[in-house]
Amino acid sequence: MRVRQRYAAACLAAMMWSSVVCAAESAPEYQVKAAFLFNFAQFVEWPASAFASPDAPFAICVLGPDPFGPELDSLVRGESVNRRPFVIERYRSIAQLRNCNILYIDRSQLPDLARIRDVARERSILTVTDAEGGDQEGVVIHLVTQDHHIRLRIDVGAAKASHLTISSKLLRPAEIIGSGEG
Amino acid sequence: MTRSLPRALAVPWVALLLLPAAALADSTDIGSSGDLKRLSLEQLMDIQVTSVTRHPGTLLEAPASIQVITGDEIRRSGATTIPEALRLADNLEVAQKNSHDWGISARGFNTALANKLLVMIDGRTVYTPLFSGVFWDVQDYLLEDIDRIEVISGPGGTLWGANAVNGVINIITRSAADSQGLYAEAGGGTQPQELVGARYGGSIAPDVSFRVYGKYADRDEEVLPGGRSAGDAWHRTQVGFRIDSDTHGPDTFTVHGDFYTSQEGVPTGNAAQTDGGNLMTRLTHVFSAESDMSLQAYYDRTHLSDPIVPFILNGMELAPAGRAHDDLSTYDLDFQHRFALGSWQRIVWGLGYRLTQDRVESAPALGFFPAELNQNLFSAFAQDEMSLGSAWRLIIGSKVEHNDYTGYEFEPNVRLQWNGVPQQTIWSAVSRAARTPSRIDRDLAEPAPPRTPILAGSPRFGSEYVTAYELGYRGQLAPPLSASLSLFYNSYRDVRSTSLSPTILPLFFANNLEGHTSGVELSTRWRLTDAWSMRVGYEYLNEDLRVKPGAFDLNSALNETADPRHQASLRSSWSLPGHLELDMGLRWVDSLTTNSGPVAGRVPSYYDLDTRIGWRCTARLEFALVGQNLLHDHHTEYGFPGPDRIEIERGVYGKMTWRE
Repeated sequence: MRVRQRYAAACLAAMMWSSVVCAAESAPEYQVKAAFLFNFAQFVEWPASAFASPDAPFAICVLGPDPFGPELDSLVRGESVNRRPFVIERYRSIAQLRNCNILYIDRSQLPDLARIRDVARERSILTVTDAEGGDQEGVVIHLVTQDHHIRLRIDVGAAKASHLTISSKLLRPAEIIGSGEG
Repeated sequence: MTRSLPRALAVPWVALLLLPAAALADSTDIGSSGDLKRLSLEQLMDIQVTSVTRHPGTLLEAPASIQVITGDEIRRSGATTIPEALRLADNLEVAQKNSHDWGISARGFNTALANKLLVMIDGRTVYTPLFSGVFWDVQDYLLEDIDRIEVISGPGGTLWGANAVNGVINIITRSAADSQGLYAEAGGGTQPQELVGARYGGSIAPDVSFRVYGKYADRDEEVLPGGRSAGDAWHRTQVGFRIDSDTHGPDTFTVHGDFYTSQEGVPTGNAAQTDGGNLMTRLTHVFSAESDMSLQAYYDRTHLSDPIVPFILNGMELAPAGRAHDDLSTYDLDFQHRFALGSWQRIVWGLGYRLTQDRVESAPALGFFPAELNQNLFSAFAQDEMSLGSAWRLIIGSKVEHNDYTGYEFEPNVRLQWNGVPQQTIWSAVSRAARTPSRIDRDLAEPAPPRTPILAGSPRFGSEYVTAYELGYRGQLAPPLSASLSLFYNSYRDVRSTSLSPTILPLFFANNLEGHTSGVELSTRWRLTDAWSMRVGYEYLNEDLRVKPGAFDLNSALNETADPRHQASLRSSWSLPGHLELDMGLRWVDSLTTNSGPVAGRVPSYYDLDTRIGWRCTARLEFALVGQNLLHDHHTEYGFPGPDRIEIERGVYGKMTWRE
């Protein structure tokens, strides 16, 4: 037993001295994803028709169960893009959707994707999902978790169909799928 | 025993708490969203996400009493075993019996032979047909790679079949793609004495990922009243692997397997030995977003060798001590298909077949006859989920099973859900579930022939049934506050009792009990700030079991319940500057009644505290100091009062982990 006591003591000692090593770069998954949504607003250009009025707010919407909790709300508090203040809206189904510029689609909503796609194209909505598997065709931006990091996959054909112009700054770090001709 | 160690450890622990913030001031704190939004896209992509746990999605909208324990919550709880992690579910009773055994149940019936909970690990059912319960000592995993644990209280028979009488636990591990790279952990302390584990994940082919893992753990013995060692030290080793194909195509496959061996001390000296393994494969084909099917097959083998105490009646030894062995092989095949019917109906249906081959080598004091038994279980289920307008959903379904003991069993349910307001769900359900006989009910002989059995199974023992009525609410009361409340009333019939033969002996099992239980499950989560959240859980359970009019039970209806009437928990999870995490879990469990035959005994109520201080010192390196059951040197959670009742000691351990 004495050996084990010593072992435990050594463990503790390690814990004490290592306060000098530092600089972590990690954060909860949905905090990071929320930051991505916030960022997209700066790197995508919406047609004027996407807004009800020149001073309409910029709406980030969550469709289906909200995985972000209060994260999105606290992220956009006091922020604006092109002088439009942010608002966060949550919808249970696509039928209830009102004004929306960025739409995060929970995986539970994938069965409705055909309808979501139609609405998104008609109203120039930037669709974003992190759902895996199933049919995700027509969603503009996929947040893909690889090896504990978030990667972007952008369907430029789908963006074009919704009349969205995506900045090269956003395209550069992303994996591009689809065709801009679509 | 290293009983002086906890006090010795307490001092540096306090020191760590007081560690000057200045020492950590130069670290980059990106613990809050305010900092994250200042980062460029490239910087965001460089951030390691600490939880790749899928949010529970539609499950949280399901019309049932569901709690989901995430991988991150398990990590922050300091749990070293699955049963310890299950303490995080407010809708479960968890009682530690000794170093390596737990009694775990939902909505009561947490006896030594608890049999009303179904437990699955990645779709593999882990109960033993010996008593339809779970040997928790052999259900293990590298906890880092558990994605989430879904705990459903209430009947789940329609989807999951017999034994899902009072609840279902689904332990779901991460896919291989979500567990890439190296992970290593090492630690030690007073009760969990040594913990070592590692995993490596990589890819075999461009679209195929794998992981392999191994772990070893060593737990110190607990104590008996008066401070004697209980002799129940526990050593276990487990290795395993998982292979997953890429999830982007229409066809995906998964293959995984685990192999373990475990030695468990018992107060009488001789150690129990268990080992086993399993191999599972699953193929999934996605037709469309609304339609997919999956086919899974697994093989599971467990071997256990247990020392059996002598059979003593009124001071007379009727059978000497010995050893019993059990070899169980399970072959299981499951098919499931999901599709939409029109725009408002979703159908899921499935077929299953299971073959179990059980072989028992009896000890003089405990026997099962026939020694070898093969059993077939056929099952089919269908469930229709109907959207009635935008706010209402109606779910109707049933399972039909055929088992060798009782033939056909029907397990239907009806569920209604209302979602008229976003983030708010009200649901209600009526369901029926069956607990089919286990080998102990039918094949037991105690002591074993040629001695005359005193207690025996009975060929007439049938299934136990519950009809459950449930009403629940789940939702967000305010942005930072969410709550779940479930009320239930369960009506039981044909519950196990013990009868006398015409010649008095042997005693045998019958179905002479009936009664009801009712209760409340409350769970709330409150996010006070970005960095601090709290959870409060409370459960009330009222049990009223009685002997059927005109019938008899030797145990006066005491033998099937051993449950606290109230239990409550308070958990705080705090992320401090400098990448420190401080977690505390305080629990209070009401007294409970256990029995020895018709004599009632009592386990006193207790409260205790678990604490973890974690420090993510770099993206890769993390240290944690964990205290378990800190408030008492030792306390009892289970068992009939007496000199053999084991008390659980305070435990403190440190652990370091490396992820890359």
